[in-house]
Amino acid sequence: METGNKSEWGDKVMLIIENLVKIYGKFKAVDNLSLEIGKGHIYGFVGANGAGKTTTMKIVAGLLKPTSGKVVIDGMDILECPVSFKNKIGYMPDFFGVYDDLKVTEYMDFYSGVYGIEKSERPKITDQLLELVNLTEKKDFYVDDLSRGMKQRLCLARSLIHNPELLILDEPASGLDPKARVEMKEVLKELRDLGKTIIISSHILPELAELCTSIGIIERGKMVISGTVEEIMQKTSHSRVIRVKVLGELDGAVKLLKEQPSVGTVSVHNDYLEADFNGSDEVMAEILKAAIKNEIPIVSFTEVEKNLESVFMHLIGGEENANESRN
Amino acid sequence: MQMNPVIEKELKTKMRGWRAPVLISLYLGFLLLVVFLYFLANNQLGMRGFQSFNPRVAINAYNTLALFQFLLLLFITPVLTGGAISSERERQTLDLLLCTSFSTFKVVIGKIVVSIAHVLLLITASLPIMGIVFLFGGVKPTDLLRLFLFYIGTALLLGSLGTFYSTIFKKTIVSIVMSFLTIGFLTIGTYIVMLLYFFFVDRFASTPQYYQIVAFLFSNPLFGFGSVIENTLSSDMVLSGLGIASSSTAGVSIVIKPWIINLGFDLITSALLIFLSAWKLKPVK
Repeated sequence: METGNKSEWGDKVMLIIENLVKIYGKFKAVDNLSLEIGKGHIYGFVGANGAGKTTTMKIVAGLLKPTSGKVVIDGMDILECPVSFKNKIGYMPDFFGVYDDLKVTEYMDFYSGVYGIEKSERPKITDQLLELVNLTEKKDFYVDDLSRGMKQRLCLARSLIHNPELLILDEPASGLDPKARVEMKEVLKELRDLGKTIIISSHILPELAELCTSIGIIERGKMVISGTVEEIMQKTSHSRVIRVKVLGELDGAVKLLKEQPSVGTVSVHNDYLEADFNGSDEVMAEILKAAIKNEIPIVSFTEVEKNLESVFMHLIGGEENANESRN
Repeated sequence: MQMNPVIEKELKTKMRGWRAPVLISLYLGFLLLVVFLYFLANNQLGMRGFQSFNPRVAINAYNTLALFQFLLLLFITPVLTGGAISSERERQTLDLLLCTSFSTFKVVIGKIVVSIAHVLLLITASLPIMGIVFLFGGVKPTDLLRLFLFYIGTALLLGSLGTFYSTIFKKTIVSIVMSFLTIGFLTIGTYIVMLLYFFFVDRFASTPQYYQIVAFLFSNPLFGFGSVIENTLSSDMVLSGLGIASSSTAGVSIVIKPWIINLGFDLITSALLIFLSAWKLKPVK
């Protein structure tokens, strides 16, 4: 059944999640979550463990029933079309198993059969996908003999067998070594170039920033912020962070920073401290001058460059502080 | 029309490796041992070895073999099907199946067909051993066909039962134990319930009627089995073997044989269990 959902993307919307709620007993895993993803876009889903990413993705993949809310994929409400929408999605879970007693080609053949692909077409599709994920040389190997990274790529190839329009990838690079992560990233870039719409969750934030057209940060089941990487940076740019490294005792530097009206929270680390700063470059220079005047032995005085990771930590930290003060 | 991919994959993987030949060898080895011991015991009890061979011994050997094969089936099928779904869950492959448009009904049917195929393989492999009795006569091919039909019906029930529990319980071991408990109830429990009824409620006031016995034992696989081999039994042991004198049923018209009733129960219950398993397996109902 086609639904007439209106969206900022118009006809080019692939996924709409509207006021999604999932409750397990007394625990609210997903709390009124809404998002939209346009066709051909890559959406990065960021959040700490237990934030609700996997639950959301499982609902979108049709593996969990939401308590309330709506999920529409390419115009189809997944609760109204619980079977047919599955032909539009390819799902790769965070933890998955493989049939170790099958060969790579047999594994692909099995899932081709599951998706109803004709026997005559299967070898060609299998070859194309194995080439895409760089496993052609392993096609006659038993799945059991593949490394973790290869199994991840094989699972990705499996999710592409029926040429889905939307790919749901839950932590596709988790547990991989740096080399395997780079290989996985390359495959994802190829999929991006092929025009696939992808929703991807990951902890490796710099990689998401590089891959994704939009990002959503989720915490305790709620969407904290959503938009393009640039938009998110702008939205959170009202505060800057100064990192000061001092020789010896940090007390003097902490005292000085706390006296400054443009400085907010000061956090002390091993041999340096970080301070939230809300002022201009001139004010920052004045603080440095004051430190030198007070004979504080400063080794370095720098502004921390903002990236997605620091934004994430800032937002999640903010949420946690807010929750603590509420409690 | 394409073959169910679950059947194709399971058949391929189950027959691969050492497990299948070892299972078949153990199964046949056990049956051979039963035949050997049976003939050995009867020759010792008889007069002087094969020269005085009584054809009745061969027929009884067939009955013994059929019974042991049936008991093996009761023990092996739950083990084969107990992990049908739960093993997919345990090795984290279930979600990969359920996120596709492949119906849960096909998944369940595929698993059950494979378990029945496995049982059929064991039964077919045992044909040469069962065939020994044909050397001596007394057993008709139709008896054997009827027996195999009953085996398949029972395997269907046990396969559906194992798959159903496998769908409900997350651990394979729990579903196997539950299957055995259910089989225990069907084979021994129903018999105990019947005896309790006749002892405490009816107090043997009247001669137990056939319909009364059927009412208690229609689901009992052993009751059906006794009936299916009654042609080769030396006397009416089906009911008398259950503690009810054969004379008690004299004059009572047995319209439908117990094994047919039991087979009907197997088919109806299996259909219900398959439906429930497929429904339970659906992630979003």
